[in-house]
Amino acid sequence: MSRIGVFVCHCGENISRTVDVEKVAAAAARLSGVAYATDYKYMCSDPGQGLLKKAVAEHRLDGIVVAACSPRMHEKTFRNAAKSAGLNPFLCEMANIREHCSWVHEDREEATEKAISIVTMLVERVKKNRKLVPITVPITKRSLVIGGGIAGIQAALDIADAGHEVVLVEREPSIGGHMAQLSETFPTLDCSQCIMTPKMVDVANHPNIRLYTYSEIENVEGYIGNFQVTVRKKARSVDMDKCTGCGVCTAKCPQKKIPNSFDRDLGMRPAIYVPFPQAVPNTPVIDRANCTYFKTGKCGVCQKVCGPGAVDYEQQDELVVEPVGAIVVATGFELYDIGPKPAGSPYEGYGEFGYGTIPDVIDGLTFERLASASGPTGGKIVRPSDGKEPKQVVFIQCVGSRAREKGISYCSKICCMYTAKHTMLYHHKVHDGQAYVFFMDARTPGKNYDEFWRRSIEEEEAVYIRGMVSRLYQKGDKVVVMGSDVLVGVQVEIEADLVVLATAVQARTGADSLAQKLGISYDKYNFYSEAHAKLKPVECATAGIYLAGACQGPKDIPDTVSQASAAAAKVMTLFAKAELEREPIVAKVNERNCVACFYCKKVCPYGAVEEKEIRDRNGNLIRVVAYVNPGVCGGCGTCQATCPSKSVELDGYTDEQVIAMIDAL
Amino acid sequence: MTPAKNILSYSYYPGCSLHASAQEYDVSTKGLFRQLKIGLQEVPDWICCGATPAHNVDELLSLSLCAKNFSLADRVEGDLAVSCAACFSRLKTTQHKLAANDIKRKQVEAAIDGPVSLAKPVKHLLEILAKDYGLDRLKEKVEKPLAGLKVACYYGCLLTRPPEVPELDDSEAPTIMERVIGAAGAETVAWSHRLECCGANFTLSRPGVVLKLSNEILASAKGAGADCIMVACPLCHGNLDIRQKEIEEASGTRYNMPVFYLTQLLALACGVQTSRLGLESNIVSPMGLLREKNLL
Repeated sequence: MSRIGVFVCHCGENISRTVDVEKVAAAAARLSGVAYATDYKYMCSDPGQGLLKKAVAEHRLDGIVVAACSPRMHEKTFRNAAKSAGLNPFLCEMANIREHCSWVHEDREEATEKAISIVTMLVERVKKNRKLVPITVPITKRSLVIGGGIAGIQAALDIADAGHEVVLVEREPSIGGHMAQLSETFPTLDCSQCIMTPKMVDVANHPNIRLYTYSEIENVEGYIGNFQVTVRKKARSVDMDKCTGCGVCTAKCPQKKIPNSFDRDLGMRPAIYVPFPQAVPNTPVIDRANCTYFKTGKCGVCQKVCGPGAVDYEQQDELVVEPVGAIVVATGFELYDIGPKPAGSPYEGYGEFGYGTIPDVIDGLTFERLASASGPTGGKIVRPSDGKEPKQVVFIQCVGSRAREKGISYCSKICCMYTAKHTMLYHHKVHDGQAYVFFMDARTPGKNYDEFWRRSIEEEEAVYIRGMVSRLYQKGDKVVVMGSDVLVGVQVEIEADLVVLATAVQARTGADSLAQKLGISYDKYNFYSEAHAKLKPVECATAGIYLAGACQGPKDIPDTVSQASAAAAKVMTLFAKAELEREPIVAKVNERNCVACFYCKKVCPYGAVEEKEIRDRNGNLIRVVAYVNPGVCGGCGTCQATCPSKSVELDGYTDEQVIAMIDAL
Repeated sequence: MTPAKNILSYSYYPGCSLHASAQEYDVSTKGLFRQLKIGLQEVPDWICCGATPAHNVDELLSLSLCAKNFSLADRVEGDLAVSCAACFSRLKTTQHKLAANDIKRKQVEAAIDGPVSLAKPVKHLLEILAKDYGLDRLKEKVEKPLAGLKVACYYGCLLTRPPEVPELDDSEAPTIMERVIGAAGAETVAWSHRLECCGANFTLSRPGVVLKLSNEILASAKGAGADCIMVACPLCHGNLDIRQKEIEEASGTRYNMPVFYLTQLLALACGVQTSRLGLESNIVSPMGLLREKNLL
């Protein structure tokens, strides 16, 4: 016979206003197996908890039901109280008579009846609760960071500075990401390279960071604390240990007419190249698709001129397995493809803007390269068509963003600010030039952001025109911009020398396939989903994986850096523990009944079900059964609902308990 | 509606203009389709689609006029072929709106005193030629290639817009007219004002607007080196062709730019007798140009 104690909380008046708490306690006292029942104004308060502890001792209680608020609110509080009274904490349960009863009902009598039913059910459940012990899982205190842009760099440096090893994987030959391409940054106009490159060098020199550039994630296995990550190191064709970064190979390469994607194809690079002078590592890579040696077997100049003999045409891709305990995903974004119809999209593009056919229609990132001191023009703003200085520049915002008809309904968040910055950079370099901006709304929430935007208008003389542009066309050496000014209600035509399109921020191509490798969720735009929009903004729903930067949604640099440091802090919190302690509410397989159909494995959203071989003492295989890895199990109970042979049950929610609860009604 | 034995056959909704100011569009459409052996059977008793005036004043009236035409069209076999850009737009809009809105659909059913039938696909001639008939087949039928004729294809506002309604081609960067007339051997020019408004119905109420907008279109086509403009809309044709002399006077520019219906040029290329192209109805005479290019 059980000796259960029931404690009914008034929650001030939150519960007692609608529910007759005394009546509930009296009814509970009459239930079989209940040894003690009472009510109290604030059960969660110190005297309330003291009441509970005292009752456990006085009445030799072996189970507790606290009829109060949601377990999400105070389950931990009361389980701790039960524990300090010497009871196994998992023998304490909460009956939610606030959110599920008093807050949603008005009739006092009916609400009281319902509260009694809820308490009765929980009493039946507690009778069948088992004593559980928290599960401990070992933690590999190394972290993987995917992506070497500012988000990945910041997260890696923070974790490494805390004394933990970091494996940083970057797809491109150099770390730096988009931020390395920018000229100056809003709202302070400090040079992007100047604040970025020291961090890149820190990464390269940090004893705790293992850097894999020109590498991609091949496979991810395991679970929080215990991931096994396979990294594909793509063949660089240059031995990183031997290369001194002298630059002779890149200087001597006869193939020099390959558009440099780092410079948005404005400049050219050789087939063996470093993407930009400040690249980290400063080791060249051979672009095999464009290399004469790889195409025809003839040339080999780079190998001949390389003093240390670092050029290796035979190099193959290499797979490396790295054990890590946590993963930070920081894969960043890419820009909307402005052509007539973006590749693979069911939506129309912007054929009417002539991007790709009118040379002086460029996107914002290309303008950054034009304005950058390390760019192909050395920071001189000129037109791609004829190299002349543009005297009238039109900037068009929201190209692809907030355009439901183009399949993107979100705001890209950074364009208002960087366009304002562009008008300033332009005005600083071309004093007699005039910048026009077509905009829908100017969105400038952020510290010193609105002041910055106002400055572009009031001090830098940018003309803002509220309205959209319908068409761009070439007329002589001008680009005619046909737009509307909706505030004045007139159509506007501007003959521009250069047009800059602020294109939408999108998830990376392939973001979905990486998410599938990692087992994390993503939204319809392929941005990665955080566990909770407000309260868990850097965690994934998958334990042990964290998000940083624009892979989760469009973000500017300050927000990206904040999120990266937050993700790093989460990793450090995880690593601060000796072992990972988890709630023992996990599924267990009854191996004698399991028929090895593995339906549970198919439905498990956490990938927690494994196939376990049962062998006799001689090592002969007897049978295979399902096994739930308690370190991975999220305790959702889907396997239990699916199992045709009733062989898997969730502790605390067994079929027996649920049926007993229903029978009690 | 699958045509029997791979022979294309359509029900045909000419619309009011094609029986009045745009007879040459009607004549050349019929001539072209006869030449290509595409069946074309006029919907008996068809009524006006309501055009611009109806939907500006009363949406229910506009939808009901088109719905009535759908029920009339059901009496004839084949998808509904439409020449006029405005009729095409109104009929497609009606299908689009009624398919998505049960309340409007019931109102229209009450107004036309019968069920609304939306099953029959509405197709513009361009779509029939480019997709159903096929450009390769069209090329084979060309007897007199329009070689050396520089054509400015003019879409106007309605043919491709709004994007979710006509579903003819990319709404802001279409190529269907260029592809069709290109199949007939013509050279198409790249120009800026392919989809700009000609002034449309303001031709009656505020002709000054038309003189300005249509002038820009003519100037752009001329500037791009076009010999002529090709249209698929009677109203555009009216503004660019009938008003051309006025535009020339107002702007002080001489254009002498013949404006063809697409079917006139295609029928000419496919060997339809010159006398059956309605060329005599074009106000800016195209005879000189066609003679110059050895196309007559």
